Amino acid sequence: MRQGVTSWLGRRPGRHGTLAAGLGLAGLVLFCGFIAPFLYPADPYAIHPAQALRPPSRLFPLGTDELGRDALALLLSGGFSTLAVALPAAALAFLTGAAYGFAAGLGPLWLDKALMRLLDVALALPGLIVLLFFAALVPQTNLNLILLLGLISWPGLARLVRNEARAQRGRDFILAAEQAGASRAYLALVHLSRIVAPVLVVNATFMTGDAILSLSALSFLGLGVQPPQESWGSLLESGLSLAALNPWWLILPPGLLIFAALLAAAMTGQGLLTSWQGDA
Amino acid sequence: MMAMTARRLASSCLSLFILVTLVFFMAHLTPGGPAYSILGQKATPASVAALNQRLGLDESLPRQFGLWLWHLLHGRLGYSYLLNRPVGQLLWVYERNTLVFYALSIFIGTGLSLLLGLAQGVWSGRWPARLIGAFQLGFYAMPSFFVAAMLILWFAVDLGWLPASGITDLRDPHPGLASFAAHLALPVATVALFTAASLSRYFGEAVHEELGKDYVRTARAMGAGPAAILLRHVLRNALRPLVTLLGLSFPYIFTGGVIVESVFNYPGLGWLMWRSALSQDYPILTAIVLVIGILTVLGNLLADLANGLLDPRESYE
Repeated sequence: MRQGVTSWLGRRPGRHGTLAAGLGLAGLVLFCGFIAPFLYPADPYAIHPAQALRPPSRLFPLGTDELGRDALALLLSGGFSTLAVALPAAALAFLTGAAYGFAAGLGPLWLDKALMRLLDVALALPGLIVLLFFAALVPQTNLNLILLLGLISWPGLARLVRNEARAQRGRDFILAAEQAGASRAYLALVHLSRIVAPVLVVNATFMTGDAILSLSALSFLGLGVQPPQESWGSLLESGLSLAALNPWWLILPPGLLIFAALLAAAMTGQGLLTSWQGDA
Repeated sequence: MMAMTARRLASSCLSLFILVTLVFFMAHLTPGGPAYSILGQKATPASVAALNQRLGLDESLPRQFGLWLWHLLHGRLGYSYLLNRPVGQLLWVYERNTLVFYALSIFIGTGLSLLLGLAQGVWSGRWPARLIGAFQLGFYAMPSFFVAAMLILWFAVDLGWLPASGITDLRDPHPGLASFAAHLALPVATVALFTAASLSRYFGEAVHEELGKDYVRTARAMGAGPAAILLRHVLRNALRPLVTLLGLSFPYIFTGGVIVESVFNYPGLGWLMWRSALSQDYPILTAIVLVIGILTVLGNLLADLANGLLDPRESYE
């Protein structure tokens, strides 16, 4: 589980300072991925061989790659495909984890035992190793990547939700609802989800960051978003493959955007946590 | 103590069995099966059938599973499709490199995190602690391949001090220890920085907490100097979570390894995993997943048992 980030900056940044900064960064990242591609209409796939590997200039604000493609246009379209895969994947992981957690937490004891045992095994393997294993098994289409990332990164949330559900289970209002004939699904959706909401929302933000990181890592390793589509991870990799020529304008921007996205997720999640716990 | 050990052991064995079963069926859900990844997409049905027979893939699934378990118990992990060598032998060749790389990184990273944690705890709330906090937050959100890329750009390309990839200089027929160390410098620096960033947060918090406790006040009142208090009393208590943390971070050591070893083309286990994933060499992939899973389960078990020894209260949970 995540530990508190409150002490990271060693002081108390106003009650909602972290949250505001996180949301601001998140807005910036979303703007780069979904709106900026329409504001900067240059074709990311048009090649200008005469202008190959130029540093930033008036014509090409972020320079060009080895084929003479506009690096800014590539960065923006890469941002779109990164987010278009990572965000649905995070949503899928979230739904799977929450459903699994509620099933274990509210179901009969044998189901809980079986599901938790399976979870222990799932948690015993580092996510990236399992991701690489499966990414090698299936063709890396965007849909497959969404399914893969979504179906692999849920165990952490599942355990949290299960523990919360178990802890709340014996409380009077749950027993009363059960006596009144409420089904388990009704209990989960109406009564428990309200109590577990902070845990769910905070973890949803963290999981979004994790999905972006995992997808970028996969793409960096050549097993994520496939050409001709670009993504931040694959752009960083192709920039680094030319490292001997020192093309910093191809390496820094995608790296900084991934960094910004992860920072946004971490700060938003932590900001929400502190503003809910009320001890900013 | 004995009962707890037995219970933990049994639970670990069950986890291991589930893991082994899962891995087997995962690999067998491959679309097309291994024959296609060995022979390529243009294989004829006849050649696929012949290969399946040779590899024993035409047997029933339960029989294959039984056979596979039998081989596994004898330490036989199969043959690599591409390199055509026993997987066990290959793993050991690459694992040696990873062990050197990681032992160094974790050692340096832990040492660094102790220094940072002490500084952060002592100067809590003042600028050195804030600076360390910014370092921790930065590395928490920074992808390891980006840090590695920056280190390459700066130290290998701009300054030209260190090599950017590989394990020794290929042009040199007798590369010495110095060449090996130079090739290790950047990958080790990357992993050590991440280790230091994540571990020092725990130490910083623990040191800060311990400094506020009564025994520190007593020691101070009895005239102990700040260095003696820190090193003899506070550090010892703040170090307690280290065993658990190192145990828990065990599998993540390998994840970080995949990316960092791939960036620096360092021929370790993570690099082998990456290359095998790119070329769909399933025997290697399954073996690595298995080995890491087994090591993780054992790592957790050892951390539990070590904690039980260090602090008997833990075993009464």
